[in-house]
Amino acid sequence: MVTSLMRKTLGVTCLGLSMACAAPAAMAVGDLLETPARPTELAPHRLLNDVAVAGDRIVAVGERGHIIYSDDQGQSWTQAQVPVSVTLTGVDFGTEREGWAVGHSGAVLHSSDAGATWELQLDGIQAARLAIASQEAEIADMERRIEDAPDAQKEDLEWALDDLTFALENMEADLDIGPVNPFLDVWFRDAEHGFVVGAYGMMFHTKDGGRTWQDWAPRLDNPQNFHLNAITEVAGGALVVVGEAGQIHVSVDGGETWERRESPYPGSLFGVLGTGRVNEILAFGLRGTLLESTDLGRSWTIVNTGSTATLNDGFADGDRIVLGGNGGAVLTSGNGGATFREYLREDRQGVMGVVPVASTRLLLVGEGGVKHADAQGKNLQ
Amino acid sequence: MSNPMHDKGEHYLTTPKAEPFLERLIFNNRAVILVLLTLLTLFLGYNAVKIQPDASFERMIPLEHPYIINMMERRHDLENLGNFVRIAVEVKEGDIFTQEYMETLRQLTDEVFYLNGVDRSGLKSLWTSNVRWVEVTEQGFQGGTVIPDNYDGSRQSLEQLRQNVLRSNEVGRLVSDNFKSTIVYAPLYEKDPETGEPLDYAEFSRQLEEKIRSKYEAQNPNIEIHIVGFAKKVGDLIEGIGAIAWFAGITIILTTLLLYWYSRCIAGTLVPVFTSIIAVFWQLGTLKLLGYGLDPYSVLVPFLVFAIGISHGVQIVNAMAVEAAKGFDAVTAARLAFRALYIPGMLALISDAFGFLTLFFIEIDVIRDLAVAAGIGVAFVIITNLVLHVLIMSYVGISKGGVRHVQNHGEKQDRKWRLMSYFSHPGVAPISLLIAVIGLGLGLYYKQGLKVGDLDQGAPELREDSRYNQDNAFIIHNYSTSADVLVVMVETPEEQCTQYNVLHAMDALQWELQNTPGVQSTASLADVSKIVTKALNEGNWKWYAISRNQTIINASIREAPSGLINTDCSLTPVLVFLEDHKAETLRTVVERVEAFAAANSNEEHTFLLAAGNAGVEAATNEVISKAKDMMLLFVYGVVSLLCFVTFRSVRAVLCIVIPLGLTSVLCEAIMAVSGIGIKVATLPVIALGVGIGVDYGIYIYSKLEKYLLEGKTLQEAYFETLRSTGKAVVFTGVTLGIGVVTWIFSPIKFQADMGFLLFFMFLWNMVGAIWLLPALARFLLRPDRMVAKARAAK
Repeated sequence: MVTSLMRKTLGVTCLGLSMACAAPAAMAVGDLLETPARPTELAPHRLLNDVAVAGDRIVAVGERGHIIYSDDQGQSWTQAQVPVSVTLTGVDFGTEREGWAVGHSGAVLHSSDAGATWELQLDGIQAARLAIASQEAEIADMERRIEDAPDAQKEDLEWALDDLTFALENMEADLDIGPVNPFLDVWFRDAEHGFVVGAYGMMFHTKDGGRTWQDWAPRLDNPQNFHLNAITEVAGGALVVVGEAGQIHVSVDGGETWERRESPYPGSLFGVLGTGRVNEILAFGLRGTLLESTDLGRSWTIVNTGSTATLNDGFADGDRIVLGGNGGAVLTSGNGGATFREYLREDRQGVMGVVPVASTRLLLVGEGGVKHADAQGKNLQ
Repeated sequence: MSNPMHDKGEHYLTTPKAEPFLERLIFNNRAVILVLLTLLTLFLGYNAVKIQPDASFERMIPLEHPYIINMMERRHDLENLGNFVRIAVEVKEGDIFTQEYMETLRQLTDEVFYLNGVDRSGLKSLWTSNVRWVEVTEQGFQGGTVIPDNYDGSRQSLEQLRQNVLRSNEVGRLVSDNFKSTIVYAPLYEKDPETGEPLDYAEFSRQLEEKIRSKYEAQNPNIEIHIVGFAKKVGDLIEGIGAIAWFAGITIILTTLLLYWYSRCIAGTLVPVFTSIIAVFWQLGTLKLLGYGLDPYSVLVPFLVFAIGISHGVQIVNAMAVEAAKGFDAVTAARLAFRALYIPGMLALISDAFGFLTLFFIEIDVIRDLAVAAGIGVAFVIITNLVLHVLIMSYVGISKGGVRHVQNHGEKQDRKWRLMSYFSHPGVAPISLLIAVIGLGLGLYYKQGLKVGDLDQGAPELREDSRYNQDNAFIIHNYSTSADVLVVMVETPEEQCTQYNVLHAMDALQWELQNTPGVQSTASLADVSKIVTKALNEGNWKWYAISRNQTIINASIREAPSGLINTDCSLTPVLVFLEDHKAETLRTVVERVEAFAAANSNEEHTFLLAAGNAGVEAATNEVISKAKDMMLLFVYGVVSLLCFVTFRSVRAVLCIVIPLGLTSVLCEAIMAVSGIGIKVATLPVIALGVGIGVDYGIYIYSKLEKYLLEGKTLQEAYFETLRSTGKAVVFTGVTLGIGVVTWIFSPIKFQADMGFLLFFMFLWNMVGAIWLLPALARFLLRPDRMVAKARAAK
């Protein structure tokens, strides 16, 4: 009853053509990277992992290759044409029309029509080959350094070489299985320059709108290959990546070089935001943890959120900050993050992304799809 | 073909001239035969009382259907999936977080723990240690039992409990969404692991009522207990069979009163009742000897046997009273009655039996058992009615009151019959036909809404307002579960059931089905793998997917519920929860699964339909749909053939069969309008209704033909027909109707449906024979040609 009501109010259309909603004839199951997402009115009601804004359009991505977009502040949604059925994890628009989405099986999708249609630009096999090639280059480089190095340093370098070789073996073993690892987030500066980050320290960079990609992982100080969970740009132009085990990496030169910051928190960070003020960063993750820095991560304060929920994503708009988390947690601050108020939504479903709509209202995405909420996160309707 | 009887205006069937061999055999050895029949009665009666209720699940399902064959072959790998009871303990005032409620729940959980048949290791309630909350922390997981370790009933520990419940993932499963009830979930053993004894459903259900429901509702007036599960349902069904005994008593009393009103003779009342009961004893005793029990379907057969016995017995009483009125003594009257009735009586009973035989087209054991039981019963009625009844009557005779009743009522009756004879009048007959055609049209129109399968919510065997279905509605309403489950079995080579390709294909099937109308949700190992993979990645939803890495998959399903993987990992089910169990829903879903299975079954994984209650229903519906037309064709074929052989005239066959056809159509229309689907219980009604209903036509037409051949006009001939047999025919219809009408009050829904429909068919077929048959005769019969033909034959 509830779902059918929601379906009505959300007014889903399948590519605007009712025919596309009809059941297709049963086909043999294929690889998820080769199976287009099924047009379905269920898409706005299933897990959505991220949401982005492209001009006036809201675009959300989720499980089974679902990408949906809305031009009326989330009242009605249209399902995009997507060539894969993998779980998608992140979406970002470099311009109003040029957007990228990432997900499992190393999928990177690109749209140049503001999210209506998508094409596959990179998959896990290609990504793994790129990573292996750069790893091999690094090993060759290391071998040269060992040859040239004075004896005293040789032993240390040999250890480093062992680590590199071991990591290479892992990559090759993974590639034998297939495109195993997921990307977890994406950020694009414009129509050309962007980064994707993911599991086990994966990171790739493009300078040509995704036509070619470079393995960027070696540029981060992440020897244990921890997951990289999120990437964003903060006011002032610095880039920040956060990840597993409290990792925080910052780049002030457009991503060419990265510095690892000391983190006051050893647990995983799942999201990162700029507050809109120059060099200010909010990083957050497990157990209601929220870290705040005003100096690009050189020093941090731990903000008491009063929450124990894992915090996933949100937005900051002046003094207003809203964060969504697991178990239906929505944290709001009206004073730039000095204090937060936690609201636990009745459905207790995880919130993976929040965008502000209609001045005070919120559009939430996450477990169970799209939800309309008031400024505190309480369900509307 | 020459027949010497016809030229005398007597029908060869109804009035054989000579003493037949059978008559001599029976009447010359009256004492010996009575003694033999008494001994037989003692022997079979002794066995009859030992017969036991038996609600075997297997006999109620179409064992030859491929779905059921698939299910039965794999039932040992599936058994833990279906057999459990859920006991919802609802609090009336307040919520569950009170000391009193939790104390009641604790005691109740302990009590369930010790019930015989409960698989204790799988028992789940807020109070069992397997119900835990889990939280991700920097170091990994932390968790504990939902009931805090130091629980003492204080406000503080109740608040702790509330928090634990919230993070336990059990809201919607063990705890209702509104926190006003919780569930005690008890999986059951099909067989006692120590003794190997099969679970006694009736006893288990009784214990649930006594030790759980009554006890705790009395102990804590602020709670209400709701119990659902297959075991409880079967228990309630067996209980329902017991209620039938009351109906038997009521039926016998009603019939006896009616018989007395009809005959005004004590002997003429008690002897048919007595001999019909004897027939029931013989039938039950024989069933027992053949190893049958009484299931909810065959328990109805004794009523039919009794009613058929009475309705034919009435013909004997009637005939004897007429002969006695002529001044014959008891023995001679009995002899003449026997002589007049043994051929049409046998013919009618044989046609009944053929009606039952058509039930063999339905490949479901209970229905075939019903056919066997009814066949045996009718065969016995031939003996109890035509031999035992006649012989007893030859000793006791019809009382003077009874004879006077026959003599006195002649004239008053005649006026009534005179009026009714106008049904064959050339002015009235077209009106009757017009009404019949309109009725047929309406019937055909409404019959379009006729559905296959069960249409109501909840357990279709029981009434919608039954305790069980109310409990079921409560649980559906308060918890995220559906009672209609279709199980698709996924078979793989040994130790391969958790391979990525298997989970991936299962997930694809589930997505296909979630996009199918009528599907509420689905569940399988693939879901377990996704949700645990997510949990293993610190609860991050971005990891909610089946990993391509087998090591991760294996880690993710290590704790999977045992029902989702069989012992050698070669079978894993996909559970499909449906919104209802309507036939269209089932068909749509099953068609999707079949198309998917055809495209995706290979050496890695085979998709097989079907288990679960919805799977069984889908198979049953298919069997029923297939059997329906075959059965109708056969039953009408047999009845028409029988009539043709008897009367040697297509026109006669039409006169008799058209009213039956009208009744069948109207019956289906009534089913459609009153929301009764074609199902295991209602399909036999059509065969029984037609098989037994044709009797009226045979009795009426045989008399009508006799009087026409005597040269009477149609209306005159019909008047004479009504005078001689009209009363018996009406009475037969009424007794048959009474025999089944009490079922309407059965706690078992399908018995009520059967009773209602049979009641309609028995009565309406009688009306059809008396009202429509003469009107049809007006248009179809050519009396002058019939006479000419009979003369020519001479």
